[in-house]
Amino acid sequence: MRCHGLTISGSDSRFLVPQYSTPISTPRPPNPNLSPLFFSVRIPKPVYSARIRVGPVKAKAASAVDDGLVAEAAAAELSFYELLGIPESGSLVQIKQAYKQLARKYHPDVSPPDRVEEYTRRFIRVQEAYETLSDPRRRAMYDRDMAKGLHLAFSARRRYQNDEGMEEKSEWKTRWQSQLSELKRRSMNKDVRGNMSWGARMRRRRDDLSNEL
Amino acid sequence: MAEPAYTVASDSENTEEEKSSSTFPEIAIGIDIGTSQCSVAVWNGSQVELLKNTRNQKMMRSYVTFKDEVPSGGVSNQLSHEHELLSGAAIFNMKRLIGRVDTDPVVHASRSLPFLVQTMDIGVRPFIAALVNNVWRSTTPEEALAIFLVELRAMAGIQLKRPVRNVVLTIPVSFGRFQLTRIERACAMAGLHVLRLMPEPTAVALLYAQQQQQTAHDNMGSGSEKIGLIFNMGAGYCDVAVTATAGGVSQIRALAGTTIGGEDLLQNMMHHLLPNAETLFSTHGISEIKAIGLLRVATQDAIHKLSFQASVQIDVDLGNGSKINKVLDRQEFEEVNKKVFEKCESLIIQCLHDAKIEVEDVNDVIAVGGCSYIPKVKDLVLNVCKRQELYKGMNPLEAAVSGAALEGAVASGISDPFGNLDLLTIQVTPLAIGIRADGGKFVPIIARNTTMPARKEMTFTTVHDNQTEALIIVYEGEGQQNAEENHLLGYFKIVGIPSAPKGVPEISVCLDIDASNVLRVYASAKHRGPHQKAMPSMEVRMPTVDDGHGWCAEALHRAYGSTSDLVTVQKKI
Repeated sequence: MRCHGLTISGSDSRFLVPQYSTPISTPRPPNPNLSPLFFSVRIPKPVYSARIRVGPVKAKAASAVDDGLVAEAAAAELSFYELLGIPESGSLVQIKQAYKQLARKYHPDVSPPDRVEEYTRRFIRVQEAYETLSDPRRRAMYDRDMAKGLHLAFSARRRYQNDEGMEEKSEWKTRWQSQLSELKRRSMNKDVRGNMSWGARMRRRRDDLSNEL
Repeated sequence: MAEPAYTVASDSENTEEEKSSSTFPEIAIGIDIGTSQCSVAVWNGSQVELLKNTRNQKMMRSYVTFKDEVPSGGVSNQLSHEHELLSGAAIFNMKRLIGRVDTDPVVHASRSLPFLVQTMDIGVRPFIAALVNNVWRSTTPEEALAIFLVELRAMAGIQLKRPVRNVVLTIPVSFGRFQLTRIERACAMAGLHVLRLMPEPTAVALLYAQQQQQTAHDNMGSGSEKIGLIFNMGAGYCDVAVTATAGGVSQIRALAGTTIGGEDLLQNMMHHLLPNAETLFSTHGISEIKAIGLLRVATQDAIHKLSFQASVQIDVDLGNGSKINKVLDRQEFEEVNKKVFEKCESLIIQCLHDAKIEVEDVNDVIAVGGCSYIPKVKDLVLNVCKRQELYKGMNPLEAAVSGAALEGAVASGISDPFGNLDLLTIQVTPLAIGIRADGGKFVPIIARNTTMPARKEMTFTTVHDNQTEALIIVYEGEGQQNAEENHLLGYFKIVGIPSAPKGVPEISVCLDIDASNVLRVYASAKHRGPHQKAMPSMEVRMPTVDDGHGWCAEALHRAYGSTSDLVTVQKKI
């Protein structure tokens, strides 16, 4: 499974181009029809290779693959600072500004009609980052956990409890999502193509072809 | 649960509609259905414009008369006299009654209205009827609202010279999800498609966000964050919102709302002027209705006058031998309604607290709604907010509908070359949603004032050894301890929990509010060990409970007792 770096015009966030193969065995074959978009905001330092193995990677990644959203698994591994695109020393004003900017991008109200679900998930993640970092007490706790390497602190705590539930839930989700995925892929490609660079378009087309074979 | 079939009004317009929709995108109109008045506004391409009816009114009385075969509403109908509204033939205060059961105190208070509100006090829909030719003819709040909306739709269609279908409606903060389904049904009956249901103060907040963005543009400023407190009190409801706005984004920090308004002030005053009013009118005979009507008009008139003068003379002959001659002053009025005003104060304090905002950090205090003209209301808002003056630059009666029209344009995908529609509202849940657990308690899973869309999950466990079933009963409310005090949204059963001692099985319940504000409840029992066959998990869209939710909760309790109860799992640290 590969991910492609795309640049969406009108957005200054960059999409990563890590061509890695998923290091985990997945219970089901990933859905090849979805070429996931890789979303990330500027990353201050290359930290997440060290952190990627912290926490219940298996269950999390598995459910993400089920959703056809490897990108989101990676986004989930970003720190809240990285998610908001601010330095770890960022002030409250910066946090608020970054949050509002990202809300304008990823709130489902402003999403393309066929990508509401994806935007909803992104927005919820941005919201979680904002809520944690804008509360001095929670931010201090988060910083402390991060220093210890417990990177996913808040969301992870809930995840530790609920991984299996999430996995089970993603099962039924896969069922109807696989039915929708073909439809979705078409509309998604249609939507994205207009905004893609030539190279990205070519890579996408090549991928589509190999998927159809 | 069977939904009664309704025919959608004015199907005849459909062909015309299809023709026009292909040529330009339809801009959704904004509608503010008030308890007493109603208004419609639309983005006209450069700004928000309020639509007027044939009598050149921007504010139309919210009522429907069932005088003749064809009912008529306050949009087109011209009242010959205020008393006509109070003859028994007119239904009003639909917004106070919609989606409520007959055990609701608001419904009980409505029994003194000059039409028939009959309650059985068992938790079902109240019986509402209008007097037509000396016969009480039954109707429902939804039906009355739909008739009114049909008139509004026709009026807007004539003004805009196009069929109107998409709308953004403002609603009170305290409306639960069940009430929202009633509003949606009334709209569907009127042939309207609801794009958004917007809590009233958040519509005002959007207008504020737009105004602040314009100011920032004009000053070439950076547009730093501004905190606005919005207090909105109309005839039926009182709402408060705290918004943090910057760059056209209105981030709702907290909402608080309750069912108090001008109607309560009026009823308190009527009761004060005529202490035995309720027993006097309980029979709802023709002469009693006339007497209620006379008292209502006189009291309403006096309250209006007290907003502009210190005292008022009331002289009214109720026709049954009782006469009221009295001088009423502001102090007495404020004393009689002390509790209402105290509740207003506590709402503001609660909202600021929930928003985690100190009153000193509030940049602007905005008071809107009909009751914002009452001196005591202005004073209490200023006092609690420690201010000298309120925000200027908004018409208190037009702010909510203007915000709804802005949202209508934004939601219709309209853009403005000057950036006046680069707006976004980040909404929060006005009420907590959770399940019954821990021995009949309400355990919120999505807390009040959680940003939407949201997805939250919690783990529960069994209370009995070898308990294989669990009842998931979903409630919505302000977070009262006792589950029964909240509104029942729905219920379902989880079966196939692996046999184990109590406290061992894990049942996860996840609540999801999506981008369209649809609530789904997911639940599943976790299974350990590979040889155990997993049971399918459940996905239930709520509310599933139709009418009579008071009934359901009681029946469930009787049938199941505590056999299928759950308790929360203590959080692992």
